[in-house]
Amino acid sequence: MSDDYAKAIPVTGPESVPYWEGAKKHQLVIQKCGKCGHHWFPPSTVCTGCGSRDINWVRSSGKGKVFSFVVFHRLYHKGWDGEVPYVVGIIELEEGARMLSNVIGIPVEDVKCDMPVEVFFEDATDTLTLPKFKPV
Amino acid sequence: MIEPSTHLRDKYAIAGAGHSRLGKVPGVSAQGLLEEAMLNALDDAGLTTRDVDGLICRGPDEIYTFHQIMGERLGIDAGFSTTLTNGGASQVMGVALAAMAIDAGMASCALVGYGRDNWSRVHANKENHMRGSGRPQQMYGMEFGPEFGYYGAIAAHGFGAQRHMHDYGTTREQFGAISLAFRKHALNNPDAVMQKPLTMEDYLNGRMIVEPFSLFDCSLQTDAAGAVIVTSAERAKDLRQKPVLIKGFGTGNNISGWFNGDNMTHTGAIQSGQTAYAMAGVGPEDIDYAQIYDCFTYMVLVQLEDYGFCKKGEGGEFVASGALDLDGALPTNTSGGQLSEAHVEGMLQVVEGVRQLQGIYGPERQVPNAEIGLVSGHGGNTVCESTLILGAA
Repeated sequence: MSDDYAKAIPVTGPESVPYWEGAKKHQLVIQKCGKCGHHWFPPSTVCTGCGSRDINWVRSSGKGKVFSFVVFHRLYHKGWDGEVPYVVGIIELEEGARMLSNVIGIPVEDVKCDMPVEVFFEDATDTLTLPKFKPV
Repeated sequence: MIEPSTHLRDKYAIAGAGHSRLGKVPGVSAQGLLEEAMLNALDDAGLTTRDVDGLICRGPDEIYTFHQIMGERLGIDAGFSTTLTNGGASQVMGVALAAMAIDAGMASCALVGYGRDNWSRVHANKENHMRGSGRPQQMYGMEFGPEFGYYGAIAAHGFGAQRHMHDYGTTREQFGAISLAFRKHALNNPDAVMQKPLTMEDYLNGRMIVEPFSLFDCSLQTDAAGAVIVTSAERAKDLRQKPVLIKGFGTGNNISGWFNGDNMTHTGAIQSGQTAYAMAGVGPEDIDYAQIYDCFTYMVLVQLEDYGFCKKGEGGEFVASGALDLDGALPTNTSGGQLSEAHVEGMLQVVEGVRQLQGIYGPERQVPNAEIGLVSGHGGNTVCESTLILGAA
């Protein structure tokens, strides 16, 4: 946690407030349909599986796998200076929803598709916590 | 259930095509470049701005209502006019939309074009260069991306490439075969930006940008524009240039997202291609050449699969077989494409697709006995696809 956090600060949309509030409490929360049981991400006001309005926020197990990933070798944002190469992955949670995050705690050359990972929480600033993933 | 439509087959034609200067063209705006391409297209057809009553175009995305700016600059009122916002799928779609608008009685002769001053814009200051694009900040996602250091179209496409490599054993050498093939074509195109041969060693030693993509997997940053004229096949017969028939077109939009399902390895080109083939009454086996949207090498490979030129998962083998060469099974991106000619988000591929059927090239660049060609557009947030099937008159 620091005041000189140099990476991009997300601008939260109104529908994603519960996700960010959950992250602050070190809980990964996503949306689940009360009608068909489908889980999805990013947040919206309708089930992306069946179109129902009956949506609920639920806690994810935080376990999943790397559906795909890329390794940034080029610096696109000054906040990442000194951290390239770094991995950005699409994480497929056990519940089925996919989300973007970083895969950390493993040499970049060892990251593989379908590799099992689990969430951990990085307190970036006093008001921002980011869910990130590490190998199980 | 979508019913196949065939009543537009061969009813409309591209009567002329043009491009602007390509590459580093300082001191000219995107609008100025597009005017240059549009006037060249009108000259090709033997028409003037006075003959135009439809205007479909696109410029840098931060310019609002680009078609209105172009109309004012060209002095054109139009029965049908709009700016498209489907990224790289817009340009092929613009040709389709022109045919539909003319068929609906809203215009009779439409200019379709796209201009960008990307090189000048991106290299104009360091901050833009750092972001890798001239787009304003508002155009990027504000959450679920930048906070994880996720930037640029290269990363989105890279996810697809990585998953394809995982699922089907596709290799970087196979991506490289695409770069090498298009570079060979560029060497026969005096207007192409890249004029030096590229070897597999060069490709494999290329600076890694966002793995699995290195420098030579990425399309060029250029100032450039292209334009074509769409009118009825009947009217096109009486114009200066040999008409090129619009046999069919299609679109497919996996707008539920690139991350959704298997969209990143089974793209919108599947539906877009099927729609276009049905309208044209042809199949992949009838296509003599292709101009495939090549923002990154992987997109060529996956689209070739999705258009049915080879089986799913066999794109790597197909491109490594020499299929994309001028004497190959499917000569592809015969101008050098966006990887080696210039990057105008697919518009120059429409232009090249047309010129192959105008038969204006010498043997070093002309696809022998070309009668039917396929042009693809791909873009938006990587999920939109458009397809055009062109035929000799």
